[in-house]
Amino acid sequence: MSLQAYWAYGLCIHAELDCPELPPHTGMSGSPDVTIRLLPTVSAASEIPENHACEVQPGIFRLAVPGVARYRVEEGCRIFIEPLLDAPIEKVRLFLFGSVMGALLYQRGLFPLHGSAVETPWGAMIFVGVQGAGKSTLAAQFHHRGYRLLSDDVCAVASTAEGLQILPALAKFRICADAFERLGAPREGHFEVDKYVVPMGVGYCPHPVPLRAIHVLQIDDATTSECAAPAFQVLSGFDRVQRLLENLYRPQYLKGQQTQATVMRLAAVIAQKATVAVVTRRPNPCEAGELVDFLESAWADHFDPIPSAEQNTDIHAEATI
Amino acid sequence: MHFAPNTRLSRVQDLLSTQLDQETVLMSIDAGAYYGLGGAAQSIWKILEVPVTFFELVDRLVKEYRVSPQTCTADLEPFLLKLEQEGLLCVE
Repeated sequence: MSLQAYWAYGLCIHAELDCPELPPHTGMSGSPDVTIRLLPTVSAASEIPENHACEVQPGIFRLAVPGVARYRVEEGCRIFIEPLLDAPIEKVRLFLFGSVMGALLYQRGLFPLHGSAVETPWGAMIFVGVQGAGKSTLAAQFHHRGYRLLSDDVCAVASTAEGLQILPALAKFRICADAFERLGAPREGHFEVDKYVVPMGVGYCPHPVPLRAIHVLQIDDATTSECAAPAFQVLSGFDRVQRLLENLYRPQYLKGQQTQATVMRLAAVIAQKATVAVVTRRPNPCEAGELVDFLESAWADHFDPIPSAEQNTDIHAEATI
Repeated sequence: MHFAPNTRLSRVQDLLSTQLDQETVLMSIDAGAYYGLGGAAQSIWKILEVPVTFFELVDRLVKEYRVSPQTCTADLEPFLLKLEQEGLLCVE
Protein backbone atom coordinates (compact mmCIF):
# COMPACT_ATOMS: atom_id res chain seq x y z
CA MET A 1 0.00 0.00 0.00
CA SER A 2 1.25 3.49 -0.79
CA LEU A 3 2.50 5.65 2.05
CA GLN A 4 1.07 9.03 2.91
CA ALA A 5 3.32 11.61 4.59
CA TYR A 6 2.05 13.87 7.36
CA TRP A 7 3.50 16.40 9.74
CA ALA A 8 2.24 16.51 13.34
CA TYR A 9 3.76 17.00 16.83
CA GLY A 10 6.99 18.04 15.10
CA LEU A 11 7.22 14.57 13.58
CA CYS A 12 7.28 13.34 10.02
CA ILE A 13 4.73 10.53 9.95
CA HIS A 14 4.46 7.97 7.17
CA ALA A 15 1.13 6.16 7.26
CA GLU A 16 -0.38 3.29 5.32
CA LEU A 17 -3.80 4.86 5.70
CA ASP A 18 -5.32 8.20 4.75
CA CYS A 19 -5.37 10.57 7.73
CA PRO A 20 -7.39 13.67 6.85
CA GLU A 21 -7.00 14.80 10.50
CA LEU A 22 -3.28 15.43 9.96
CA PRO A 23 -1.60 18.18 7.96
CA PRO A 24 0.11 16.69 4.89
CA HIS A 25 3.92 16.76 4.79
CA THR A 26 5.07 18.15 1.50
CA GLY A 27 8.12 16.36 0.17
CA MET A 28 8.40 12.69 1.02
CA SER A 29 12.21 12.73 1.16
CA GLY A 30 14.09 11.66 4.26
CA SER A 31 13.28 8.97 6.73
CA PRO A 32 10.14 9.37 8.82
CA ASP A 33 10.14 9.80 12.61
CA VAL A 34 7.04 7.62 12.91
CA THR A 35 5.56 4.93 10.70
CA ILE A 36 1.94 3.79 10.94
CA ARG A 37 1.42 0.27 9.57
CA LEU A 38 -1.98 -1.13 8.77
CA LEU A 39 -1.99 -4.90 9.35
CA PRO A 40 -4.57 -7.27 7.87
CA THR A 41 -7.99 -7.09 9.48
CA VAL A 42 -8.69 -9.57 12.25
CA SER A 43 -12.05 -11.18 12.86
CA ALA A 44 -11.34 -12.40 16.39
CA ALA A 45 -13.52 -9.74 17.99
CA SER A 46 -14.17 -12.09 20.89
CA GLU A 47 -10.53 -11.90 21.93
CA ILE A 48 -10.93 -8.25 22.85
CA PRO A 49 -12.32 -7.70 26.32
CA GLU A 50 -15.40 -5.53 26.76
CA ASN A 51 -13.56 -2.58 28.28
CA HIS A 52 -10.62 -0.95 26.51
CA ALA A 53 -7.63 -2.98 27.61
CA CYS A 54 -4.27 -1.29 27.56
CA GLU A 55 -0.91 -2.64 28.51
CA VAL A 56 2.19 -0.53 29.11
CA GLN A 57 5.67 -2.04 29.09
CA PRO A 58 9.00 -0.27 28.65
CA GLY A 59 9.01 0.79 25.01
CA ILE A 60 5.78 -1.04 24.13
CA PHE A 61 2.16 0.06 24.45
CA ARG A 62 -0.82 -2.10 23.48
CA LEU A 63 -4.45 -1.05 23.27
CA ALA A 64 -7.44 -3.16 22.28
CA VAL A 65 -10.73 -1.40 21.53
CA PRO A 66 -13.76 -3.70 21.13
CA GLY A 67 -15.38 -3.42 17.72
CA VAL A 68 -12.58 -1.20 16.44
CA ALA A 69 -8.98 -2.39 16.43
CA ARG A 70 -5.89 -3.58 18.22
CA TYR A 71 -3.01 -1.09 18.37
CA ARG A 72 0.66 -1.49 19.24
CA VAL A 73 3.15 1.36 19.68
CA GLU A 74 6.89 0.61 19.80
CA GLU A 75 9.75 2.82 20.98
CA GLY A 76 7.95 6.05 20.11
CA CYS A 77 8.37 5.46 16.37
CA ARG A 78 6.30 2.51 15.13
CA ILE A 79 2.52 2.14 15.29
CA PHE A 80 0.82 -1.07 14.15
CA ILE A 81 -2.93 -1.26 13.68
CA GLU A 82 -4.95 -4.44 13.31
CA PRO A 83 -8.46 -3.23 12.46
CA LEU A 84 -11.32 -5.58 13.27
CA LEU A 85 -13.39 -6.84 10.39
CA ASP A 86 -16.07 -4.27 9.44
CA ALA A 87 -14.70 -1.64 11.85
CA PRO A 88 -15.42 1.86 10.47
CA ILE A 89 -12.09 3.45 9.52
CA GLU A 90 -13.16 6.78 11.12
CA LYS A 91 -13.36 4.98 14.46
CA VAL A 92 -10.00 3.32 13.88
CA ARG A 93 -8.52 6.82 13.36
CA LEU A 94 -10.39 8.26 16.34
CA PHE A 95 -8.46 6.03 18.77
CA LEU A 96 -5.26 6.32 16.69
CA PHE A 97 -5.19 10.11 17.10
CA GLY A 98 -6.37 9.98 20.73
CA SER A 99 -5.10 7.27 23.04
CA VAL A 100 -2.53 5.75 20.68
CA MET A 101 -0.87 9.03 19.75
CA GLY A 102 -0.91 10.00 23.45
CA ALA A 103 1.04 6.83 24.29
CA LEU A 104 3.52 7.57 21.47
CA LEU A 105 4.10 11.08 22.86
CA TYR A 106 4.88 9.59 26.30
CA GLN A 107 7.30 7.13 24.71
CA ARG A 108 9.07 10.08 23.10
CA GLY A 109 9.35 11.90 26.44
CA LEU A 110 7.01 14.74 25.50
CA PHE A 111 4.47 16.26 27.88
CA PRO A 112 0.95 15.69 26.53
CA LEU A 113 -1.69 17.89 28.13
CA HIS A 114 -5.39 17.21 27.70
CA GLY A 115 -6.62 20.44 26.20
CA SER A 116 -6.63 22.86 23.30
CA ALA A 117 -4.01 25.39 22.24
CA VAL A 118 -4.08 28.62 20.25
CA GLU A 119 -1.34 30.85 18.82
CA THR A 120 -1.46 34.42 20.12
CA PRO A 121 0.82 37.47 19.88
CA TRP A 122 2.01 36.55 23.42
CA GLY A 123 2.93 32.96 22.52
CA ALA A 124 1.04 29.69 22.67
CA MET A 125 -1.82 29.52 25.15
CA ILE A 126 -3.18 26.16 26.36
CA PHE A 127 -6.64 25.61 27.85
CA VAL A 128 -7.11 22.61 30.12
CA GLY A 129 -9.81 21.63 32.58
CA VAL A 130 -12.29 18.92 33.42
CA GLN A 131 -14.73 17.64 30.82
CA GLY A 132 -17.34 20.32 30.19
CA ALA A 133 -15.11 23.17 31.40
CA GLY A 134 -15.17 24.60 27.87
CA LYS A 135 -11.66 23.95 26.49
CA SER A 136 -12.63 23.28 22.87
CA THR A 137 -15.42 25.85 22.95
CA LEU A 138 -13.01 28.57 24.03
CA ALA A 139 -10.50 27.50 21.36
CA ALA A 140 -13.32 27.65 18.79
CA GLN A 141 -14.20 31.17 19.95
CA PHE A 142 -10.58 32.27 19.52
CA HIS A 143 -10.56 30.61 16.10
CA HIS A 144 -13.72 32.56 15.27
CA ARG A 145 -11.80 35.76 16.14
CA GLY A 146 -9.05 34.89 13.69
CA TYR A 147 -6.53 33.22 16.01
CA ARG A 148 -4.80 30.13 14.61
CA LEU A 149 -5.24 26.83 16.41
CA LEU A 150 -2.27 24.67 17.37
CA SER A 151 -4.02 21.56 18.62
CA ASP A 152 -7.18 20.20 20.07
CA ASP A 153 -7.62 17.42 22.64
CA VAL A 154 -3.91 16.52 22.97
CA CYS A 155 -1.33 19.33 23.28
CA ALA A 156 2.28 18.19 23.17
CA VAL A 157 4.79 20.36 25.02
CA ALA A 158 8.46 19.83 24.18
CA SER A 159 11.64 21.21 25.68
CA THR A 160 13.74 22.36 22.73
CA ALA A 161 16.87 24.43 22.15
CA GLU A 162 14.48 27.38 21.63
CA GLY A 163 12.77 26.78 24.98
CA LEU A 164 9.40 25.22 25.70
CA GLN A 165 7.25 24.85 22.61
CA ILE A 166 3.86 23.54 21.63
CA LEU A 167 4.15 21.11 18.76
CA PRO A 168 1.11 21.62 16.55
CA ALA A 169 -0.94 18.61 15.67
CA LEU A 170 -4.39 18.19 14.23
CA ALA A 171 -5.58 20.03 11.17
CA LYS A 172 -9.17 19.46 12.26
CA PHE A 173 -10.78 19.83 15.59
CA ARG A 174 -13.70 18.24 17.32
CA ILE A 175 -16.17 20.29 19.23
CA CYS A 176 -19.42 19.68 21.09
CA ALA A 177 -22.53 20.39 19.09
CA ASP A 178 -23.86 22.81 21.71
CA ALA A 179 -20.79 25.00 21.39
CA PHE A 180 -21.55 25.54 17.73
CA GLU A 181 -25.16 26.31 18.42
CA ARG A 182 -23.86 29.37 20.27
CA LEU A 183 -21.28 30.27 17.61
CA GLY A 184 -23.35 29.35 14.59
CA ALA A 185 -22.81 26.00 12.90
CA PRO A 186 -19.69 25.82 10.73
CA ARG A 187 -20.21 25.59 7.00
CA GLU A 188 -17.57 22.95 6.36
CA GLY A 189 -18.03 20.91 9.52
CA HIS A 190 -19.66 17.54 9.70
CA PHE A 191 -21.02 15.58 12.61
CA GLU A 192 -19.03 12.57 13.79
CA VAL A 193 -19.70 10.43 16.88
CA ASP A 194 -20.84 13.15 19.29
CA LYS A 195 -18.88 16.09 18.01
CA TYR A 196 -18.50 18.32 15.00
CA VAL A 197 -15.27 17.86 13.07
CA VAL A 198 -14.06 21.12 11.59
CA PRO A 199 -11.24 21.31 9.06
CA MET A 200 -8.87 24.10 10.05
CA GLY A 201 -7.32 25.12 6.74
CA VAL A 202 -5.71 28.54 7.15
CA GLY A 203 -6.95 28.69 10.73
CA TYR A 204 -4.30 26.19 11.68
CA CYS A 205 -0.77 27.12 12.75
CA PRO A 206 1.69 24.61 11.23
CA HIS A 207 4.89 25.51 13.12
CA PRO A 208 5.87 25.13 16.79
CA VAL A 209 5.12 28.17 18.97
CA PRO A 210 6.84 29.12 22.27
CA LEU A 211 4.65 28.20 25.22
CA ARG A 212 3.51 31.15 27.31
CA ALA A 213 0.72 29.99 29.61
CA ILE A 214 -1.49 27.09 30.63
CA HIS A 215 -5.01 28.05 31.70
CA VAL A 216 -7.06 25.75 33.93
CA LEU A 217 -10.69 26.55 33.09
CA GLN A 218 -13.16 26.45 35.95
CA ILE A 219 -16.83 27.29 36.03
CA ASP A 220 -17.85 29.60 38.85
CA ASP A 221 -20.83 27.76 40.34
CA ALA A 222 -21.38 30.15 43.23
CA THR A 223 -24.97 31.34 43.43
CA THR A 224 -23.88 34.95 43.23
CA SER A 225 -22.08 34.36 39.94
CA GLU A 226 -24.82 35.97 37.83
CA CYS A 227 -23.02 39.28 37.84
CA ALA A 228 -19.49 38.17 38.78
CA ALA A 229 -16.83 38.86 36.17
CA PRO A 230 -14.40 36.18 34.94
CA ALA A 231 -11.17 35.88 36.94
CA PHE A 232 -7.52 35.21 36.04
CA GLN A 233 -5.41 33.91 38.91
CA VAL A 234 -1.73 33.09 38.41
CA LEU A 235 -0.62 30.08 40.49
CA SER A 236 2.65 29.70 42.34
CA GLY A 237 4.58 26.96 44.14
CA PHE A 238 3.37 23.38 44.27
CA ASP A 239 -0.08 24.24 42.83
CA ARG A 240 1.47 24.88 39.41
CA VAL A 241 2.93 21.42 38.98
CA GLN A 242 -0.12 19.75 40.53
CA ARG A 243 -2.42 21.43 38.00
CA LEU A 244 -0.13 20.37 35.16
CA LEU A 245 -0.01 16.75 36.31
CA GLU A 246 -3.79 16.70 36.89
CA ASN A 247 -4.29 17.65 33.26
CA LEU A 248 -1.92 15.15 31.69
CA TYR A 249 -3.50 13.21 28.84
CA ARG A 250 -4.26 9.63 30.00
CA PRO A 251 -1.82 9.70 32.95
CA GLN A 252 -2.20 5.94 33.44
CA TYR A 253 -0.16 5.51 30.23
CA LEU A 254 2.80 6.98 32.09
CA LYS A 255 2.96 3.94 34.37
CA GLY A 256 5.71 1.56 33.35
CA GLN A 257 7.02 4.03 30.76
CA GLN A 258 10.82 4.28 30.33
CA THR A 259 10.50 8.03 29.89
CA GLN A 260 8.72 8.62 33.25
CA ALA A 261 11.60 10.61 34.73
CA THR A 262 11.92 12.76 31.59
CA VAL A 263 8.19 13.54 31.55
CA MET A 264 8.18 14.36 35.28
CA ARG A 265 11.24 16.63 34.91
CA LEU A 266 9.46 18.38 32.05
CA ALA A 267 6.47 19.00 34.36
CA ALA A 268 8.73 20.93 36.73
CA VAL A 269 10.36 22.89 33.89
CA ILE A 270 6.95 23.87 32.49
CA ALA A 271 5.78 24.91 35.98
CA GLN A 272 8.84 27.12 36.37
CA LYS A 273 9.08 28.65 32.90
CA ALA A 274 5.48 28.98 31.77
CA THR A 275 2.63 30.73 33.57
CA VAL A 276 0.00 28.44 35.09
CA ALA A 277 -3.26 30.28 35.78
CA VAL A 278 -6.76 29.38 36.90
CA VAL A 279 -9.41 31.05 34.77
CA THR A 280 -12.85 31.15 36.34
CA ARG A 281 -15.71 31.77 33.98
CA ARG A 282 -19.42 32.26 34.45
CA PRO A 283 -21.62 29.23 33.73
CA ASN A 284 -23.78 31.09 31.20
CA PRO A 285 -22.15 34.23 29.88
CA CYS A 286 -24.52 36.53 28.01
CA GLU A 287 -22.04 36.94 25.17
CA ALA A 288 -20.11 34.04 23.64
CA GLY A 289 -17.01 36.19 23.24
CA GLU A 290 -16.96 37.46 26.82
CA LEU A 291 -14.14 35.17 27.95
CA VAL A 292 -12.13 35.89 24.79
CA ASP A 293 -12.30 39.65 25.50
CA PHE A 294 -11.39 39.03 29.11
CA LEU A 295 -8.37 36.85 28.32
CA GLU A 296 -7.09 39.21 25.63
CA SER A 297 -6.91 42.00 28.18
CA ALA A 298 -5.49 39.72 30.91
CA TRP A 299 -2.72 38.59 28.52
CA ALA A 300 -1.94 42.18 27.50
CA ASP A 301 -1.55 43.03 31.21
CA HIS A 302 0.60 40.03 32.10
CA PHE A 303 2.75 39.29 29.06
CA ASP A 304 4.95 40.95 26.47
CA PRO A 305 4.18 40.10 22.85
CA ILE A 306 6.68 37.84 21.10
CA PRO A 307 7.93 38.52 17.58
CA SER A 308 6.11 36.36 15.06
CA ALA A 309 7.82 33.14 14.00
CA GLU A 310 7.91 34.27 10.37
CA GLN A 311 10.43 36.94 11.35
CA ASN A 312 14.15 36.55 11.81
CA THR A 313 14.82 33.37 13.75
CA ASP A 314 17.56 35.02 15.86
CA ILE A 315 15.08 37.49 17.30
CA HIS A 316 12.70 34.61 17.79
CA ALA A 317 15.23 32.62 19.82
CA GLU A 318 16.08 35.58 22.05
CA ALA A 319 12.46 36.19 22.87
CA THR A 320 11.84 32.60 23.89
CA ILE A 321 11.14 32.14 27.57
CA MET B 1 5.68 3.84 69.92
CA HIS B 2 4.01 2.78 66.65
CA PHE B 3 7.11 1.50 64.90
CA ALA B 4 9.44 -1.16 66.27
CA PRO B 5 13.17 -0.53 65.66
CA ASN B 6 13.30 -3.40 63.16
CA THR B 7 10.16 -2.32 61.23
CA ARG B 8 11.11 -2.18 57.56
CA LEU B 9 10.09 0.96 55.72
CA SER B 10 10.11 1.55 51.97
CA ARG B 11 8.44 3.70 49.34
CA VAL B 12 5.50 2.11 47.56
CA GLN B 13 6.05 1.35 43.88
CA ASP B 14 4.40 3.28 41.06
CA LEU B 15 4.91 6.71 42.57
CA LEU B 16 6.28 9.36 40.25
CA SER B 17 8.28 12.27 41.51
CA THR B 18 9.91 15.47 40.34
CA GLN B 19 11.82 18.33 41.89
CA LEU B 20 10.24 21.81 41.81
CA ASP B 21 12.18 24.67 43.38
CA GLN B 22 12.93 23.42 46.92
CA GLU B 23 10.17 20.80 46.95
CA THR B 24 9.84 17.15 45.96
CA VAL B 25 6.52 16.60 44.19
CA LEU B 26 5.00 13.11 44.33
CA MET B 27 2.25 11.83 42.08
CA SER B 28 0.21 8.69 42.65
CA ILE B 29 -1.35 7.88 39.28
CA ASP B 30 -3.80 5.32 40.69
CA ALA B 31 -5.04 7.56 43.49
CA GLY B 32 -4.87 10.73 41.39
CA ALA B 33 -3.17 12.33 44.40
CA TYR B 34 -0.31 14.83 44.58
CA TYR B 35 2.05 15.65 47.43
CA GLY B 36 4.68 18.28 48.03
CA LEU B 37 7.53 17.43 50.40
CA GLY B 38 9.88 20.11 51.72
CA GLY B 39 12.63 20.38 54.35
CA ALA B 40 13.07 17.34 56.58
CA ALA B 41 10.22 15.49 54.85
CA GLN B 42 12.32 15.61 51.71
CA SER B 43 15.37 14.18 53.53
CA ILE B 44 13.25 11.34 54.93
CA TRP B 45 11.83 10.56 51.50
CA LYS B 46 15.34 10.55 50.03
CA ILE B 47 16.54 8.06 52.67
CA LEU B 48 13.51 5.84 51.92
CA GLU B 49 14.69 5.45 48.32
CA VAL B 50 16.16 2.13 49.50
CA PRO B 51 14.31 0.16 52.21
CA VAL B 52 15.54 0.88 55.76
CA THR B 53 14.54 -0.15 59.27
CA PHE B 54 12.96 2.42 61.57
CA PHE B 55 16.11 2.28 63.73
CA GLU B 56 18.36 3.08 60.75
CA LEU B 57 16.11 5.95 59.69
CA VAL B 58 16.15 7.53 63.16
CA ASP B 59 19.91 7.04 63.36
CA ARG B 60 20.53 8.82 60.07
CA LEU B 61 18.20 11.72 60.88
CA VAL B 62 19.76 12.16 64.34
CA LYS B 63 23.15 12.58 62.65
CA GLU B 64 21.82 14.87 59.91
CA TYR B 65 19.74 17.17 62.13
CA ARG B 66 21.70 16.86 65.41
CA VAL B 67 18.63 16.14 67.50
CA SER B 68 18.10 13.59 70.26
CA PRO B 69 16.71 10.18 69.24
CA GLN B 70 13.68 10.94 71.47
CA THR B 71 12.86 14.21 69.69
CA CYS B 72 13.51 12.62 66.31
CA THR B 73 11.23 9.65 67.04
CA ALA B 74 8.46 11.93 68.36
CA ASP B 75 8.57 14.08 65.22
CA LEU B 76 9.11 11.23 62.79
CA GLU B 77 6.31 8.88 63.82
CA PRO B 78 3.34 11.14 62.97
CA PHE B 79 4.92 11.86 59.58
CA LEU B 80 5.49 8.17 58.81
CA LEU B 81 1.93 7.36 59.89
CA LYS B 82 0.67 10.03 57.55
CA LEU B 83 2.73 8.59 54.69
CA GLU B 84 1.34 5.15 55.47
CA GLN B 85 -2.26 6.43 55.59
CA GLU B 86 -1.79 8.14 52.23
CA GLY B 87 -0.54 4.87 50.77
CA LEU B 88 2.94 6.22 50.06
CA LEU B 89 4.86 4.05 52.54
CA CYS B 90 5.26 0.30 52.77
CA VAL B 91 5.55 -0.85 56.40
CA GLU B 92 6.66 -4.43 57.13
